Amino acid sequence: MTVKEPCRDDFPALGREIDGRGISYLDNGATTLKPRSVIQAVCGYYESNGANIHRGKHRLSEEASDAYESSRTVIARHIGAAANEVVLLRNTSEALNLVAAGLDLAPGARVVGCLDAHHSQLLPWRRVGHLDLARVDAHGRLDRDHFRKLLSDPPEVVVLTHCSNVTGVVHPVRELVAEVRAACDATIVLDAAQSLPHGRLNVRDLDVDFMAFSMHKMLGPTGVGCLFGRSERLAALRPLTVGGGMVDWVDLDGSVDRRIPFRFETGTPAVASVIGSAAAIRYLEELDPDKRHRREQDLCAALVDGALARPALTLIGPPDHTDRIALASLRLDAAAPAGEVARLLSDSYGYMVRSGHMCAQPVVTELAGGEVLRVSAYLYNEVPEIEGFYQALDELLTWLAPPTGG
Amino acid sequence: MTGTAAFEAARQEIAYAFENTAFFRKHMEDNGLHPADIKDADDFLRIPPTAKPDYRRHFPAGVLAKGYTLNSPRVMRFQSSGTSGDRLNSAILSYDLARRQATALAVNRRFDDLWRPGSRPRTCRFAPPNCSDVECATGLSTLEDRTLPDGTVVLSVAHDLMATPEWQIVKALDELEICEPDLLLVDSTHFAFLTRWARRLGRRISSPRTLHLVSGYTLMTRVARREIDAFLGADMPVGDMIGMSELGYLGFECHKGRRHINDQDFYLEFVRDGRAVELGTMGELYVTTLDDTLVPRIRYATGDYFTPLGDACDCGSDLPVVRIEGRATQAVRLRSGRTVSPGAVDAVVGDAPWMDLYKLEQDPTGACTFRYVANSAEQAGDAPALETRLSEALEPNPVRVEAVDYIACERSGKFQACVSHLSAEGAW
Repeated sequence: MTVKEPCRDDFPALGREIDGRGISYLDNGATTLKPRSVIQAVCGYYESNGANIHRGKHRLSEEASDAYESSRTVIARHIGAAANEVVLLRNTSEALNLVAAGLDLAPGARVVGCLDAHHSQLLPWRRVGHLDLARVDAHGRLDRDHFRKLLSDPPEVVVLTHCSNVTGVVHPVRELVAEVRAACDATIVLDAAQSLPHGRLNVRDLDVDFMAFSMHKMLGPTGVGCLFGRSERLAALRPLTVGGGMVDWVDLDGSVDRRIPFRFETGTPAVASVIGSAAAIRYLEELDPDKRHRREQDLCAALVDGALARPALTLIGPPDHTDRIALASLRLDAAAPAGEVARLLSDSYGYMVRSGHMCAQPVVTELAGGEVLRVSAYLYNEVPEIEGFYQALDELLTWLAPPTGG
Repeated sequence: MTGTAAFEAARQEIAYAFENTAFFRKHMEDNGLHPADIKDADDFLRIPPTAKPDYRRHFPAGVLAKGYTLNSPRVMRFQSSGTSGDRLNSAILSYDLARRQATALAVNRRFDDLWRPGSRPRTCRFAPPNCSDVECATGLSTLEDRTLPDGTVVLSVAHDLMATPEWQIVKALDELEICEPDLLLVDSTHFAFLTRWARRLGRRISSPRTLHLVSGYTLMTRVARREIDAFLGADMPVGDMIGMSELGYLGFECHKGRRHINDQDFYLEFVRDGRAVELGTMGELYVTTLDDTLVPRIRYATGDYFTPLGDACDCGSDLPVVRIEGRATQAVRLRSGRTVSPGAVDAVVGDAPWMDLYKLEQDPTGACTFRYVANSAEQAGDAPALETRLSEALEPNPVRVEAVDYIACERSGKFQACVSHLSAEGAW
């Protein structure tokens, strides 16, 4: 059933007022707001259950375990995976750390990545191997020649970022995977944290070995990160942590790990948040994908065109609407510190936007030279909000204009 | 300034704010008022108080006076995390700040040498960090990175004061030596913490110039004051400042140890239930700025409570004497309907030589927990005696006293000695 349209009333936080003014939430690249159905799913678990999972035979534990595992199935189905190929962790960072550490790479193993990767995709690989980064052009599009050149000395792992959280660029991941497969037998790890919230992906079609994402960027609760791994690859992965919940047997001489994916899930998980994650996916799947795509395009156009129309702003990312999400990073004049502007936009105008290096400092430094202001829209945002944001920014920048003397 | 002259100045401020700021004009018009309607003190009460949310929401477009931008000469911008986490963006003219500071500091003869004609005191700040915990508070930034446009050096401080690593404390002490300041601007709890570490490390806090210490940001507890005085000695001028980020110095401690409030640069009211309180009675401070051409504020409800005492002070200053009571949102609310201010709680605790730090917290049910970090001077009867005093002061609400070795700061980095989850949710 794909009949529903995203409704602002579904998101209680959007009804909030601060100092008597409504808010516009435009920091969706960091995390999205939660619809009522997700909140109710989380609350429902705590109100009617609250027991631990996989640890008891009593009624409440069984119920909680059933709800938890059925949520895993919902998440797996959403990406075209089998349920045992989805590991439920805390966040994308943890998922990528698990792969990086679990592959047991030899010291100095060569890894190829991309300059616009998030720190979550840079630092785990830098820790275990030698990371070479493919360049991007002035608009943040991948330098394909440089990428191919890096593949010519076959790496052991290629780590791809599907969508940059700074430029909004959606990379041609299918083509990139095909190039890797043609060039070498490297393990391919995809960071889909910024792309999956904007449209479904199928891991079989993508032909990746591992894919990481977080539910909180797609209407779900915080504290749930997911790692997809092809079953044979997961089976060969070394667990990052050991302890309760990941073993079938422990005696004085040793232990026997559980099967995948449980061997990677140590300790008591975020039960309520995982149950809420399934509610988030149900919400997304009930939406009409065509209408959702059109709205996304409209928001993207408003963001890009609004930036291009203002000479005082430098858009970090492509000056077009193709292959990008509704996200615009803006470099401001030196007289307008991004952090202060973000704070004023919030407190004086009600627009919640992000400032700083976006946890992707190399690409921000390369393309912008310093901190940026990031405006990222999602399915509950509307074009007039983007227009209002730019009007507020215009007004604010006049108050931050260079001194006129006196 | 006499009462008549002060009120006339307040009337001029009203007229200026009405003519030059969109927010205040609308505020008056929404209430059917025009500056000409305000002829006497009773008329003045017809103007509904303004508050921090008004100035936050309308900053800068609605509250900055015509003709100014945030980059105009002598405009100092700042971002405050707020004493109670109620943050604010605002701006102030540097000379207004200096004037208010001079008026306030003039009550204390021991600060007379701080400003000499043509000199500019070297200032270091050791206080809750305003920056995020990936910037200053990590301690990884350089001294240059932490030097403000006015020359103040911000010493690196962790958000969670008691979890500050030793190397960061050593760094702060080293940087103090390098800076050789005239003036240390500190949060008393933070600085008391630094003195405990300095003592442990065998370090001194001094300067080849005459070092002065001004404490602000949060309520200065008697415990912190005792520790600071004991470490710095009697010769160093120490003063407790009454201030707000958006207004600057509202008052200061005189050399006789009493707190005076600045009625020269502000028109002041102490209000409870909409009326001016009697002398000796606690009331919320309402401030009307005088001759503030940048962000004039009219009947600005500060959320801070004071008791105006009405008596003369031996120090010789004419500025009114007050007792600091603390934030309304931090007062303990009792089931009997009574409220106990943070200042009153501090009076019950006293200077307690047997403890280094304390925090009284009232939970949403009304119950109070007093946590303290003891030192080697603690005797067996100290804590029970304090528990008895606190129970009497806060009856009928239950009070529990706990010895701990760690107390967390707020997320903003501030350490409040008295907080109430009940008061934070509603009016006093």
